[in-house]
Amino acid sequence: MISLILLALSLQYAPTRDIGPQLDAEREARVMVLGKQLRCAVCQGVAISDSPASMAQAQLAKVRELVAEDKTDAEILAYFVQRYGEWVLLEPTKTGLNVVLWAGPLALLGIGLVVILMQRKKPDAPSAKPPAPTEDPLLAQVRADLEK
Amino acid sequence: MKRVAAVVAALAVAGLVVYVMAKGFGTDPHEVPFLMAGQKAPEFSITRLDTNETVTLSQFKGKPVVLNFWATWCGPCAMEHPNLEWAARTYADKVVFLGIVFEDTEANTRRFLAEKGWTFTQLFDPKSTIAVDYAVSGVPETYFINREGVIVGKYAAPISRDILAQRIGEIL
Repeated sequence: MISLILLALSLQYAPTRDIGPQLDAEREARVMVLGKQLRCAVCQGVAISDSPASMAQAQLAKVRELVAEDKTDAEILAYFVQRYGEWVLLEPTKTGLNVVLWAGPLALLGIGLVVILMQRKKPDAPSAKPPAPTEDPLLAQVRADLEK
Repeated sequence: MKRVAAVVAALAVAGLVVYVMAKGFGTDPHEVPFLMAGQKAPEFSITRLDTNETVTLSQFKGKPVVLNFWATWCGPCAMEHPNLEWAARTYADKVVFLGIVFEDTEANTRRFLAEKGWTFTQLFDPKSTIAVDYAVSGVPETYFINREGVIVGKYAAPISRDILAQRIGEIL
């Protein structure tokens, strides 16, 4: 309610927009799949197909336009990456330094498992002779006196 | 020996992961990257608000262009409007100034301009297609295009006279 009041007071919002004609079911499904992979430029980590923002709808319309021009998925994603960089992809590509993000945690897990297995195979070596009992001389004297 | 090798390998992988994460943590998550600096400015064909004539970017080939994306509902756009008007008058003979209204209605735009006044060409982008082509990520945003039609940079905030003068100097 407070948000609505603040929004009304600020009067800073874009008018709603007609999303325009849609494509046939198959190509529209492709638009939505691509839209799920692209980040809305004016939102916080939301896909353009999930955002009600007018600008996100404009980005989705661009995807629709490129699909209608028979561009491949790679070409459509490249259109956005060329403008916003890989930031625009909600899922980082598995290339370059990004490989570390994908493979790093798995590699760490593997190394951890190896270390645990190595530890389990090696039981503690028994000590050569038990440690000599150490007793306080005063206590020994008291015990000896009591035994007398 | 094997244990040392495992520890070294773990430290190496952990170091790499920390490095990649630190790179990510060092960036502002709210900042939208802009990769179009140095690229050819996308061509557009759009209608003038006053004469309904079609305007294309290529018709200004050989001249520096200042392209301002704005909307009437955007408070900061109203704030910077006098500064852009000042710059358009000051650099009238040297630089082309174009305003592109997007995420808005034509009626609102006409009302705003009638009230505030305007001297440079104002264009209307009804479906924000040009804004998407230029990777606009908010309003207002001002683009500086050199004589070769290359985007030198953009300013993503209400622009002051000083910054306008400085950025125009880079495309003259």
